[in-house]
Amino acid sequence: MWTEIQLQKPGRWPQGIRLPIVISVHHQSEEAAVVFPDGQVDPFDYSERQYGGRRGAWRLLEILEKHGVLGTWIICGATVEKYPEISREVKKLGYSIAGHTYEHEMMCNYPPDHELRLIRKTVSVFEDKLGDHLKGWRTCFASHHTVDLLLEHFDFEWDASIWNDDLPYIIEGYGKKLLEIPFSSYSDAACAIQITNPMPPTPYGTWHSNTPEFILRTMKSQFDALYERGAERAVLMPLTVHDFIVGRPSRSLILDQFIAYAKQFDGAVFATHDEVTAWWLENYKAQ
Amino acid sequence: MEYGGRRGMWNILEVLDACGVKATFFVCGATAEKYPDVVRAAHADGHEIAGMSYAFERVRTASPARERGIVTRTAKALEDTCGSRIRGWRCPDYRLSPQTLDILSEFDFTWDSSLLNDDLPCLFKCAGGTIVELPFTTSTADKTYIGYPYPMRGGPDGLANVWDCEFDVLYRESERAPRFLILSIQTWATGRPAPLRTLRRFIERLRKHNDVQFARCGEIVAWCSKGN
Repeated sequence: MWTEIQLQKPGRWPQGIRLPIVISVHHQSEEAAVVFPDGQVDPFDYSERQYGGRRGAWRLLEILEKHGVLGTWIICGATVEKYPEISREVKKLGYSIAGHTYEHEMMCNYPPDHELRLIRKTVSVFEDKLGDHLKGWRTCFASHHTVDLLLEHFDFEWDASIWNDDLPYIIEGYGKKLLEIPFSSYSDAACAIQITNPMPPTPYGTWHSNTPEFILRTMKSQFDALYERGAERAVLMPLTVHDFIVGRPSRSLILDQFIAYAKQFDGAVFATHDEVTAWWLENYKAQ
Repeated sequence: MEYGGRRGMWNILEVLDACGVKATFFVCGATAEKYPDVVRAAHADGHEIAGMSYAFERVRTASPARERGIVTRTAKALEDTCGSRIRGWRCPDYRLSPQTLDILSEFDFTWDSSLLNDDLPCLFKCAGGTIVELPFTTSTADKTYIGYPYPMRGGPDGLANVWDCEFDVLYRESERAPRFLILSIQTWATGRPAPLRTLRRFIERLRKHNDVQFARCGEIVAWCSKGN
């Protein structure tokens, strides 16, 4: 069990920061590929997603490096094992790293003991393969037990699995504290996602994707709204991109152009989840 | 769909011809039998004809015998239509069976284009020889914007935006590493007048770059094979 710690005064970011933008790069490659009822992984969806590990993730890293901005890499345990070079590279370059389950298991489908085993397995992959002790976690489809398990059995500093607020909040349980950093469907490049219908009734309409132009416009609208709001109160812009979606050439331009746009505004800063955690906890320590 | 065979393919041929571009057509065996004239015309114009099943059969769980039957029947239908053997293949639903590439190699195919997992071709050692895989992408697919059931997500202009972005990024990257842009269009979708204009404008835009070359899949495969 856990409770939320209410801040006595509204939280603030450090001086000079008006809008932190927290990029999450989902590096999960083929882990979430559709499985048919006969048990075979869909070869089409697998191939589509495998692009992420083989090419897309590198393209996204190149864009972040070109602009000199950091963010957080959200990585599945199995993806670390299959594509260790890029995980090592982002760790070396100073990005925050979060675990994203072992093989993109939908945690809401599992009982707590199985979820716990999967979190443990993922944590140990990062220890063994990267020498990284995970500070952050983003689950796939949180269960009702997710946050409880993270607090009771691990020493994560932050979790970014829940979609229920604009700003981070501190929770406490089992004698530990954890910062929940919410994200939102607005910020997910899921509006660019290619939905592969595993059992198409017809050969058509198996994927749907908005244009790069539309997605970029949506990102800018969200940025503009938050930047305006940031003049009066603390705001946060989570931005999620997937290696197999925005890592495709045409979609990568969205990230490239969004970063270039946001960088023009004073006080808009690209931050990692580790930084956001440190900044927000200052609000608690100060009171 | 019928629009593609009756009209769309002729329309696309006209644009390609006007722009002096040779392309690869993935044709079902049954389509060639129903619309032999247009397939023959494409072949005679110097476009490449490749196979894409006989009648859209899915082979993911097919027995090797059944899959061999589909490949040979398709190859024969296309050879009877055009007078020459086909060398390339794409699975109609992009779902290879575990034996697809081996079967293709047994029947002297040299390339396949059904995977989506890379920016560059790769080579597979198969039972009957080497198969070059040319990965393609659905991220620039016309169907998403103009196809089925209605134009949406920006329609022909949205499609233009996706293609432009794809080219811009790959062209920039090609300064540092080899790249190729593979664009898949459907005769029943891009063959309609509005998206046809999108296609024509896109080709005209690409043609302004003197270091961009149009190629049929078979030519890319020949370049890959030469390098190895």
